[in-house]
Amino acid sequence: MSNEPTRADADFFRRLKVLVVEDSAEMQRLLTALLASMGIGHVVVALDGERGLAAFHSECPDIIITDGAMTPMDGFEMTRRIRASGAGLAANPDVPILMISGHAGRENVAYARDQGVTDYLVKPLSAEMLYEAIVATVSRPVHFVETPDYRGPSPRRTLDARRAGN
Amino acid sequence: MEQRNITSRLAGRDAVTGETPPDVRFIRVPSIAERKLGADYVAPMRLDPRVLDQMQSTIRTLETKYAEALSAQISMLQLLVEPSAKGDTEARSRLYSLSHDMRGLAGTFGFPLVGRFADSLCRYIEHCDDEDWRDGSVLRFHVDAIRDAIDNPGTDPAITMETLNALERLIKATRGNRKMAG
Repeated sequence: MSNEPTRADADFFRRLKVLVVEDSAEMQRLLTALLASMGIGHVVVALDGERGLAAFHSECPDIIITDGAMTPMDGFEMTRRIRASGAGLAANPDVPILMISGHAGRENVAYARDQGVTDYLVKPLSAEMLYEAIVATVSRPVHFVETPDYRGPSPRRTLDARRAGN
Repeated sequence: MEQRNITSRLAGRDAVTGETPPDVRFIRVPSIAERKLGADYVAPMRLDPRVLDQMQSTIRTLETKYAEALSAQISMLQLLVEPSAKGDTEARSRLYSLSHDMRGLAGTFGFPLVGRFADSLCRYIEHCDDEDWRDGSVLRFHVDAIRDAIDNPGTDPAITMETLNALERLIKATRGNRKMAG
């Protein structure tokens, strides 16, 4: 067995299923094309938080990438419900949730963190930003907090938004 | 999966100083790589420049299509300003939706100035009341700035900053004047 660190390449990404929850057709096109070019094996698209929640239960994705602002259910509420579905019953209660948003303010990032978002990416999206966020998500063990009505990353942790170029 | 009932630094500042309530557990969830590859996974995971090249090439491929779509969207923005000012709620919603898309995507596809003006427009609309819409001047200036940014992509960044500052001053002035009048 080789002791070389595992490479974040198409061979690895082929094993992953990613759920994209996004209402903008242009953004959907961009994300699905970028994920396909990484080699991600299976990409499922949902148009809003409500459909995203249904797809989370039916598809059991390894990662969710979601927009923030959508109607009728936004990405924050979808995240809250996934984290509230907690231990045991949910499709994959430990699923990492990456939020991509045009809102860069501290209060938006803190609100996303409080709902259980794993990582927060500020638009405009770059290839580097998405790739690095996904690699960080898949390669690091996470420490979850579990209470009777929440299971997810600690809402008290510091969450810094990722931006292109930093 | 390890489960423990002791406090964790990862749980945040409050957790290290206080008692953990009995119904709170801290759980180490193995990484996806650990779960998918088992013993074959050797951390830390290495970035692969070939993947990044492929992703960047994908963006370049989509750029041409996006530039065409963007031009059509800006023309649509220009058409939507007048009906929005006359109270057409459908036009207002469409105008916001288009500028929201531009804010999110224009920077990715090499139009950062469009993205910045669209961001300013979105932030303005998010706090717009009916009078702001009916006045329409701030909307018009933003849409003109967006059109100018795509027509003159080599504009001096100092001019762009000045335009953004001027838009900011215009927003403050129009809202300030209304407060004084009201």
